[in-house]
Amino acid sequence: MPGSVLENLSGKKLAVLVVLFLICQIICFLIGGLIAPKPSSTDTILATKCLDKTNNTAEWFYIRGENKCSTMNINVFSYEKYERIANQIVFSFQMPTPRDNIILDYSRWQQNLIGILQLDISYHPENEMKNRTVLTIDAKLGYRNQGDKDDDWKYYASSVEQRNLDCILEHKKDGYPYNCSFIPLFELGSLHHDFYLLNIRLPVDNEKGMNLELGKVDDMWLVAINQTGGFTKVWMSLKSIFFPFIVGILIWFWKRVHGLQRKPLLLEYMLLFLGTALTFLNLPLELLTLFYELPFMLLLADIRQGIFYAALLSFWLIFAAEHLMVRETQENQFKTYWKHLSGVAIGCIALFIFDLCERGVQLRNPFYSIWVTDIGTKIAMGFLIVGGISVGVYFLVLCWLIWQVFCNMRAKRANLPVMSQARRLHYSGIIYRFNFLMLTTLICAALTLIAFTLGQVSEGQWKWDEHQYLEYTSAFFTGVYGMWNIYIFALIILYAPSHKQWPSQIGILFFIY
Amino acid sequence: MLSGCRETAFIYAITSAAVTHAVARSCAEGSIESCTCDYSHHSRGAPKSQGTIHGVKDWEWGGCSDNIGFGFKFSREFVDTGERGRSLREKMNLHNNEAGRTHVANEMRQECKCHGMSGSCTVKTCWMRLPNFRVVGDNLKDRFDGASRVMVSNAGSLRPYNPEHKPPTSKDLVYLEPSPGFCEKNPRLGIQGTHGRQCNDTSLGVDGCDLMCCGRGYRTQEIVVVERCACTFHWCCEVKCKLCRTKKTVHTCL
Repeated sequence: MPGSVLENLSGKKLAVLVVLFLICQIICFLIGGLIAPKPSSTDTILATKCLDKTNNTAEWFYIRGENKCSTMNINVFSYEKYERIANQIVFSFQMPTPRDNIILDYSRWQQNLIGILQLDISYHPENEMKNRTVLTIDAKLGYRNQGDKDDDWKYYASSVEQRNLDCILEHKKDGYPYNCSFIPLFELGSLHHDFYLLNIRLPVDNEKGMNLELGKVDDMWLVAINQTGGFTKVWMSLKSIFFPFIVGILIWFWKRVHGLQRKPLLLEYMLLFLGTALTFLNLPLELLTLFYELPFMLLLADIRQGIFYAALLSFWLIFAAEHLMVRETQENQFKTYWKHLSGVAIGCIALFIFDLCERGVQLRNPFYSIWVTDIGTKIAMGFLIVGGISVGVYFLVLCWLIWQVFCNMRAKRANLPVMSQARRLHYSGIIYRFNFLMLTTLICAALTLIAFTLGQVSEGQWKWDEHQYLEYTSAFFTGVYGMWNIYIFALIILYAPSHKQWPSQIGILFFIY
Repeated sequence: MLSGCRETAFIYAITSAAVTHAVARSCAEGSIESCTCDYSHHSRGAPKSQGTIHGVKDWEWGGCSDNIGFGFKFSREFVDTGERGRSLREKMNLHNNEAGRTHVANEMRQECKCHGMSGSCTVKTCWMRLPNFRVVGDNLKDRFDGASRVMVSNAGSLRPYNPEHKPPTSKDLVYLEPSPGFCEKNPRLGIQGTHGRQCNDTSLGVDGCDLMCCGRGYRTQEIVVVERCACTFHWCCEVKCKLCRTKKTVHTCL
């Protein structure tokens, strides 16, 4: 890559550019912190226990509106008569819950819905539960829209699922609660309808051994998590703003590369690939969910993010390798790097298959999770470990390459004074380009890590005083997203080929010395 | 309830705790539809509009606050009504009401779910789980045993009666005067007396025969009772028991 814009830019212009990028960065951070609400909101719903008199599994049991179900009290025992009524209890959740006397309905801006179950089980000396109990859940999800009749619930999904329930008991006293783990129940990739209804039964079957070891379930809670509409709006606006900028700079870059006499270099192809991957990530495809039901959006979002990470990691590796300064003529072949890049490829494929097994299957059955069975957990862990190892190998290779580059750089720098002017400019150009990218990348990576850690900490702390000025979690999301957009925008501009041809230019400034 | 004693303090605290807990629960169940959201924080970026649409828009924009927030607000408005905090007794009641609520808040447990890329923790959402009321009750009972007697200081705040004690914290129960004797019947204070109560001869606590019968002594009887025993339980509502005939020793205060 002889003569990129970066080397031929004057110190003043570069400073102006850096300041502009910094301002954009701060704006991104503030948009998240000051305008956007927190990324997702939770609604904790307590189950209403409906009585299914006819044992009719096709019926819907809802708790608001005309013909609502007849509720029952499950704290009443029958000692005398043997009654099998466990199968007739329907735990019913109608989402969302009303507030301020207004019947709320989900908006399509709220994107997705995650359901988590929590059971309140009390201890009784007659039936002490084991630490791990297998719970069989018969769940059915339905939906209704604004304008439909109160009883007009339509089928969405249903499944009989087995989940492990881990419970510990602190005080073994009659009636005291177990401390049970929560159970992830379902994930909906699209929140297309206005109201949702979840009917859950905990069926008892002596022959199949279903739920026989279950303790006394007093209550069932559902935590419904959805993305906030405000966050989606801010996020989509951010994407829509970045999208044309990156597309524009890509077109400019490619025109410039094509205007040259020579064929494009490998690094230029890599930059183009990186820019395209980012464009694909920036494309505000989620807006389509406002009109169509697209449950695969979560999977697609994972894939888009994955492609972007793969492109970024490959770019760093090839960039380091191309600056080794061992060969005088760059081979300019993608094939030479297959060994280096195999780590990235294996990692990506492993994570992709894992994602297909989890979110791919959830397209067919939203109640599915790979983690609930022991075999599934092993398979999932297998994929994740393969992914983790390949990422580890990748970073080892990258560090080794960078170390090599620094060694060669030191050697070349010692020889610089005795070189001819053309060679001297060539090598000092390479050294400068490399150091500049190293510095910016390290800063961006460090900022991402800091932001991530702070985000985790800020989300983990419960704020009783909710009147804070900055919404940190959102600010970190928009800030980090903006940062990588700006980073790649800057790379494409600065590493584009320059019109100025370097042997004729004498008075070039090298900031590195 | 008339005197500002330890027992009164407990009743006030557990009442306000129970109101907070029950209201938060009903909000979650949807049986109270008027539970409010605190939109003031969430809605800063939201587009402004009027009337009922406003609430819907705010909810869509930033979601709702936790139910416990409404439970608190409701309990403050409902239980604290009439206690203006002017007299010493009203100060005591307000302190104990607030202590009850603080115990509910203190037992809330945070739980988090990761749902970022491929289920990783890049995106994490946390919520608070409402405690079981038994646990709140137990904690309040502990505070009842260690309640501090207070008097009013010159500045108008509560300070310990015994100057060597630490000032009460927001979780402590406070009382003004020692408890009246509960041994003898006193209709004016609503005390039933302990004549005829059953007691436990092996206990050293307040349910033990020595303390409960106030030194009057107790009568011991042997009776035969028919009880359910060897019960097995199946979810949801099925308890299978045998009937057993057992001899029991019962102690009754004179």
